[in-house]
Amino acid sequence: MTSLLRAELLKLRTTRTFAALVGAALALSLIVVVLTASLGNDWSAQNTRNLFTSNFTGLFILLLGVMGMAGEWRHRTISATILAAPNRLRLLTAKTLSYAAAGALLSLIVTLTIMLVGTIILAGRGIDTAPLSDLADVLWRDLVVAALLGALGVGIGAVLRNQVVAIIAVLVLGFVLEPALYGLVPEVGRYGPTVIAPSAIVDVSPFGESADETLLSPAPAVLVMLGWIALFFAAAAVRLRSRDLV
Amino acid sequence: MAPVEVRDLTKRFGRVVAVDNLSFDIRSGRVTGFLGPNGAGKSTTLRALLGLVRPTSGTATFGGRRYEELERPSTKVGAVLEDAAFHPGRTARNHLRVLAVTGDHPLERIDAVLADVGLTQDADRRVGGYSMGMRQRLGIASALLGDPEVLILDEPTNGLDPPGIAWMRALVREQAARGRAVLVSSHLLAEVAQSVDDVVVISRGVLRGQGTLEAVLGGDEGLSTIVHAQDNERLARALEAAGHPVKPDGEALLVPGVSPEQVGVVAGDAGIYLVGLAPRARSLEQAFFALTGDATS
Repeated sequence: MTSLLRAELLKLRTTRTFAALVGAALALSLIVVVLTASLGNDWSAQNTRNLFTSNFTGLFILLLGVMGMAGEWRHRTISATILAAPNRLRLLTAKTLSYAAAGALLSLIVTLTIMLVGTIILAGRGIDTAPLSDLADVLWRDLVVAALLGALGVGIGAVLRNQVVAIIAVLVLGFVLEPALYGLVPEVGRYGPTVIAPSAIVDVSPFGESADETLLSPAPAVLVMLGWIALFFAAAAVRLRSRDLV
Repeated sequence: MAPVEVRDLTKRFGRVVAVDNLSFDIRSGRVTGFLGPNGAGKSTTLRALLGLVRPTSGTATFGGRRYEELERPSTKVGAVLEDAAFHPGRTARNHLRVLAVTGDHPLERIDAVLADVGLTQDADRRVGGYSMGMRQRLGIASALLGDPEVLILDEPTNGLDPPGIAWMRALVREQAARGRAVLVSSHLLAEVAQSVDDVVVISRGVLRGQGTLEAVLGGDEGLSTIVHAQDNERLARALEAAGHPVKPDGEALLVPGVSPEQVGVVAGDAGIYLVGLAPRARSLEQAFFALTGDATS
């Protein structure tokens, strides 16, 4: 399993897609933090904390997971991948864990960077940054969300297989369906896997305000995310193990 | 136990029987051509052998074990599939690094196999910019990375130019000389005839022949004669009376297994004038078509 994990992480590092998505996540997060820290006026404790949740890693690692798995079919490399690692369940597990690890690492880099930059800008304006305990709290939540979304992306990619369809499905789900469902029926919408449950873990509203009461608490939200991952993993495992690769 | 054994292998896709009760072995130190027209079931058989396709019944094993049961399979079997594909954004060296890490192979093997296939100079280029021939070479390098005992190549000459085909022939001979069992599938007999020792011929999923190239495709009738007489009917009777059955062949007669000299003697003894007399050896292709029942491939 260790070799498979190392190989999957090496695969991630050796394509331009990874570098591009990491760069995009970092750039987008920095733009938001720089603009907010430079132009914002209301620096309540909650708003200061929220500044450092402007981490866009989640979306990108979700897409990266989708592309990493569905890309095996898009580039027709799935046969060669399974030849190298014939146990399909172990392969799927390794991919899931490696994208979770990559998500956590990516989030660590982005979160630390935006915390550093945001703190410098706030300090330059004579504004107190969030206390260290708040920063640590934001950091672990971001890491957990990114890890869970990386794993979820692999499951979605393995179930749908068509990379374009999978990316569109994730974007529609995250930007249209989940927010709409949460707005209409929050008791149901709060279980959404790509935006709403992750927002609950980070403890901010998916619409940029403080967390409201309809969101799940962080621990149940983590369990909900794990449930979604388990569901997609199981479906992907059944599909991957039962299908002929012709 | 043979390094590769296929026993009573059957694979159905719905109502379509792609492979039907197929059995054959391949041996170490020899190149076996796996031949048949397009759609004969070659790729399905190879994919069943490699665990990519689940057989409906029967077995396909390496030393008695299924591919997915092999420990470190890349040290036992190296395979290049017909649609060998690579991530276009990854360099050849990085592609091999991924495989080396997956298979726990020493990273020094990467330079060795790159040199073996002549890709050292292009190893750090992205595969998306490779020609078909370079991709085939990278596929071979990938297969050789684990120094396997069995090498399986599915239509390896597809898309190669003549120098590439010559290179591939030399490579498979060299691999067999190193003691490997080499299985090369092709729908083009001419491209593998010069490099194989044994052949397994299939058509419509059914085994049509197996053994040495000469035994299977050398022509079971040997030399034949094509003869045209002033009176073909009389000549046919004379030849049959001499123990040489004949077959009509247009305006002439085909006399299988008999030389022109023998036919000439029979005709002379019977006082029959000949208009034409010529030897006709059955070509490998004709034998192949006769076995597979497909003259269009």
